[in-house]
Amino acid sequence: MTTRALDPVQRRAIRRRQLNRAGVYALAILIALWILLPIWLIGTMAFSTRSDVYGFPKQMAPIPFTTDTMQFFINQPGILDGTRNSIVVAVLTLALSTLIAAPAGYAISRYVFVGRDAFRLSILAVRAFPIVILAVPLAVTFIEWGMFDKVYSVALMHTALTLPTTILVVSSVFASVPREFEEAAKVFGCNAYQAFMRVVLPLVLPGIAASAIFTFVMSWNEVFAATLLTIRNRTLPALILYQLNKSSLQFQYAGGFFMLVPSLIFIFFIRRYLFNMWGQITK
Amino acid sequence: MKRFRLNLAPYLLILPSFIYLAVFFAWPMVRSLQLAFVRDSPILPVLSEPEDKADVVGHLEMQVDVAVVDRVKRDEVLPNGRTRPVYWFKIASETEDGDLVEGWVHQKNLFIKSRTESDTARVVSGEGAKEWTLDYVKRMVNDYRFREALQTTLLLIVLILPIQFVLAIIMALVLQSQLRGNSLFLYIYAIPLGISDLAAGLVWVTIFTQRGYLNTFLQQLGLIDQPYIFLSAQNRHWMIVAIVLAEVWRATSIVMVIVVSGLQAIPREYLEAGELFGASLWQRLRHITLPLLKPSLQVALILRTILAFQVFAVVVAITGGRVLTVLAYETYRWYDPGDSGFNNPNMAAAYAGFIMLISLAFAVFYLRTVRTQEEAARE
Repeated sequence: MTTRALDPVQRRAIRRRQLNRAGVYALAILIALWILLPIWLIGTMAFSTRSDVYGFPKQMAPIPFTTDTMQFFINQPGILDGTRNSIVVAVLTLALSTLIAAPAGYAISRYVFVGRDAFRLSILAVRAFPIVILAVPLAVTFIEWGMFDKVYSVALMHTALTLPTTILVVSSVFASVPREFEEAAKVFGCNAYQAFMRVVLPLVLPGIAASAIFTFVMSWNEVFAATLLTIRNRTLPALILYQLNKSSLQFQYAGGFFMLVPSLIFIFFIRRYLFNMWGQITK
Repeated sequence: MKRFRLNLAPYLLILPSFIYLAVFFAWPMVRSLQLAFVRDSPILPVLSEPEDKADVVGHLEMQVDVAVVDRVKRDEVLPNGRTRPVYWFKIASETEDGDLVEGWVHQKNLFIKSRTESDTARVVSGEGAKEWTLDYVKRMVNDYRFREALQTTLLLIVLILPIQFVLAIIMALVLQSQLRGNSLFLYIYAIPLGISDLAAGLVWVTIFTQRGYLNTFLQQLGLIDQPYIFLSAQNRHWMIVAIVLAEVWRATSIVMVIVVSGLQAIPREYLEAGELFGASLWQRLRHITLPLLKPSLQVALILRTILAFQVFAVVVAITGGRVLTVLAYETYRWYDPGDSGFNNPNMAAAYAGFIMLISLAFAVFYLRTVRTQEEAARE
């Protein structure tokens, strides 16, 4: 046994380290439970029978398991349309936002030009601006332009919301690819376009994909502007918010769970890029 | 010598985003100010005498109901030389500020069922448009829900932010200690980043509702005999608790991510040196980590405060928007053309402008405070 060779001081130090380690683990698990337990509880409700949803005391797991409550929610009038609208809006937002932001992000990370800092700073300022402020005048403007209550107008609004974040993230992704790679490609006979397509693009694609996914999630979740901009073509969160006061518990629980499922999936894919995304903003 | 050459490429690359933000960000901002400070709908001048040229004694907005106090019949000459009988009505009404307006208006400006008999009417037309006005701002400030909304919003910020920052720093330190399964913990801690405020509100409804999980736990612990109604109009403080928990649950992840990014930028040597000189965990945290983390915390603080002024869907989900109100909900309520709203974009813009102003004020305040501390430390 190696421990026999340790003197008491060392042994105490090691034990203290192990204790600390155990304490940190306990803390880590406690925080994880704090986040997961509420999700588990609403999930339980979403897959419980009608009588269990209204019953008391509540059960800790969906036994008997049923999809009735979820089906009840999905079959409510407008939910499928709302889901489709939400997906269309989120995909449009993702596409628009990425297409417009990618060149700007590249410019910020690769070129030194007059006005670069001003542009960066204004992007940061725009990023911090509240959507609540933007939504009211945009809704009024869209009415004047005849674009009110359209799915694409919500996407235009969401793009204005996500564009600054996407620009910053994309520029940090480009900045992580050393300029020398591009130069080396040019040395070996690529022109600027080929160097970008063959060397830079494959390296930045995962990061840009992560940012696109995050854009999708932001748009999928956004409720205030979507509520203001639409009446008949509501997105899913706008629809749920609008019906909240007149809806049943089944509707609320299943709806809440339905809305948070994408987050469980998408955050898993982009978790490694989160610090790329937000590290940028603190610089 | 390097010749200066203006490279157009970067400008072309940022042009699309520049144009987009000009159209969908800068223009709406201008429009917002217009809405809040320019009157666009006509108003009806109320006259001292039943004549076109009489003095104006007050103004009434469109669609206001008025009481008809008196009426006179006049003959009006038409352009073709004939005359027709018209009525002038002496009307009385209150303006939105509660002032009494009494005076004469022409029949063309009113909707009235019977010119000879009805004793009420409604203002339907007026004159003028587009003038600077502080009416909307005044009306907002005088609205009894404004103070309530402001107080509740500030209360929520004061309660939520400290809890959030302590929790976020703890979460970040846990992630930084590189436990086995770190990647799993990171995933779990980051999940709320993707959860909408509406969904988070509904999640906490399952817990705080009358037949919910909190009552289940309390009953199983033997603390209560029957379910307690947490979310009722009499229990505003419990609603606040539920909103605070939901917001801490949902929005701490973003602070955590910013703090982790900040921690990663701190050189390991600093902490190792601290440990070498016998500093305890708390001392290292207090004297090394936190001071170096200040820029990150500042960014997170500004971001979170601005977002906290927009708290909306969580409040609606938990309170239904009726018992407690916040600034963003008032904005929505004034704008909403539906049955619960007032369909008044001008008032909504005034609220939105107020939220912007107060957010900016806080951001400037944070930046100033931190800078003065730094300057003080230097001296």
